[in-house]
Amino acid sequence: MSATLQADAATAAMPQRNSRLWKTPAVLTVLRLLIVAVVLVSWEFSSDRIISKFWVSSPTAVFAVFQLWVIDGSLWIHLGATLQAIVIGYVIGCASGILLGLLLGFLPRVQRIFVPFFSAFYALPKIALAPLFVIILGIGIESKICLVAVTVFFLLLFATMDGMRDIDEDVVESLEIMGATRTEIATKLVMPAAKPWIFTGMRLSVRYAMTAAILGEVIAANRGIGFLIEYNSGMFNAAGVFAAVALLVLFGVAVTEFLTRFERGSAVEKLPF
Amino acid sequence: MQNNSLSEVPHVVAAERMGGVPRIELRGAEKCFSTRGSEVQALAKIDLTVRPQEFLALVGPSGCGKTTVLNLVAGLLSPTSGQVLYNGAPVTGLNRSVGYITQKDTVLPWRTVESNVGIALELHCRNVPASERRDRVARMIELVGLKGFEKHFPAELSGGMRRRVALARTLIYEPETLLMDEPFGALDAQLKLLMQDQLQKLTHMAKITVIFVTHDLSEAIALGDRVAVFSPRPGSIRTMRKVDIPRPRDIFNVRFSDGFSRLHEELWNELKDGIAYGTNV
Repeated sequence: MSATLQADAATAAMPQRNSRLWKTPAVLTVLRLLIVAVVLVSWEFSSDRIISKFWVSSPTAVFAVFQLWVIDGSLWIHLGATLQAIVIGYVIGCASGILLGLLLGFLPRVQRIFVPFFSAFYALPKIALAPLFVIILGIGIESKICLVAVTVFFLLLFATMDGMRDIDEDVVESLEIMGATRTEIATKLVMPAAKPWIFTGMRLSVRYAMTAAILGEVIAANRGIGFLIEYNSGMFNAAGVFAAVALLVLFGVAVTEFLTRFERGSAVEKLPF
Repeated sequence: MQNNSLSEVPHVVAAERMGGVPRIELRGAEKCFSTRGSEVQALAKIDLTVRPQEFLALVGPSGCGKTTVLNLVAGLLSPTSGQVLYNGAPVTGLNRSVGYITQKDTVLPWRTVESNVGIALELHCRNVPASERRDRVARMIELVGLKGFEKHFPAELSGGMRRRVALARTLIYEPETLLMDEPFGALDAQLKLLMQDQLQKLTHMAKITVIFVTHDLSEAIALGDRVAVFSPRPGSIRTMRKVDIPRPRDIFNVRFSDGFSRLHEELWNELKDGIAYGTNV
């Protein structure tokens, strides 16, 4: 949403023409609020009049559930559980994926032996492993952390290995002619060249980590946003389900916003390639 | 009639006149490539001898094997037949006594200009302390005319500037032999003359042997002790001429000197025939 707000600001700075009038930020915001209002009002109206409120609940009911969660503190417990699973799993997955990727990158013969096994598991949707993790690690946060870590691990492993492979032979030769040893080629050429690949992998895997955590919670958990969805669904509490989904949407938007700002500010990733 | 600048020196005679081991020697060196089933003879059997501290210029149209000669001397390629000798010993694997400025841009994109130029001095095999490294990098950057761009990245530079970075990073460690593949091609005329001047001063002072590949005949005569004219398909040496213009040379005015225009005319005729042949194929 922030990108479009910037576009709005840009168009607002330009001299207004009649055809451009509808693009001003004020008008756009009004139109958007109007859409939201129309949806909410029609939802509220049709609830129990056109469709039974058992199926669709109503905005007022959903809001009431939200209020309840905020008051009794359960909102923060579940939000915190999801966030914890994502962050811990991501860190473990990144660290292990990058380290193993570097190790295998420097030992090509070992890499060749093991890569088919890794590729096989890379192709597997990690969600299929979720029930297995629950059996081994239980229903608590550990199985979610494991699921996130495994998802992120494979992504970073291959990102690192591909980055180390993507090196121009001519550049290697030019350094070798200068007198560089194998170690020097590794530290001065291979690792810096792999860095953008690794950072891209880290960036992409955040979203996969999120998906893995939520899906893991839906399958089997006792806390978390995914758990909220599943639990309320099981209790036939339509309001609860909608509230949990709304929470998920807000969470996703917040994470995306945070990431966008982080990426923009992070000079490390602005490599002049 | 004495023609000082037109003495043709057959390679055999040259070798006999040399005392000691030639720096580089190609004996019947031939290079064939097989691409998609067909054999291409990039370099026909050539014999070439380069004296220590000699500046040899190779001129010729594209695709006549000049770069192949450099690659053979550098050890990046091995000859299909014949021998390539460096200081009397056959070249096996990469030849680390040479500095090679290739046509391809291999400057490291994540390093700044000064970091790129100093990279050869960072290596263990040279062990240059950081303070000395900084001084030499600064001097070299000034020499190639990139002062003020030390902290820039290669992506922010023009093609000609990146070539100068590649030049600087090779010249800085003064290798025994320099292999240069059209290093000044992308530079404008004034800068080219300046760089030619710097190059001949540096290589003379540091006693560096040079094989210099170029399309520009004037450049070859201005810089070289000898000029070899190549003819294409298959690549072979058409003529070899000694350049009798005395050193040190004033690069900016050398083309107005006596023997220059005569040599230029004669070699140009040789080159022209080679080019005509090339375009007919």
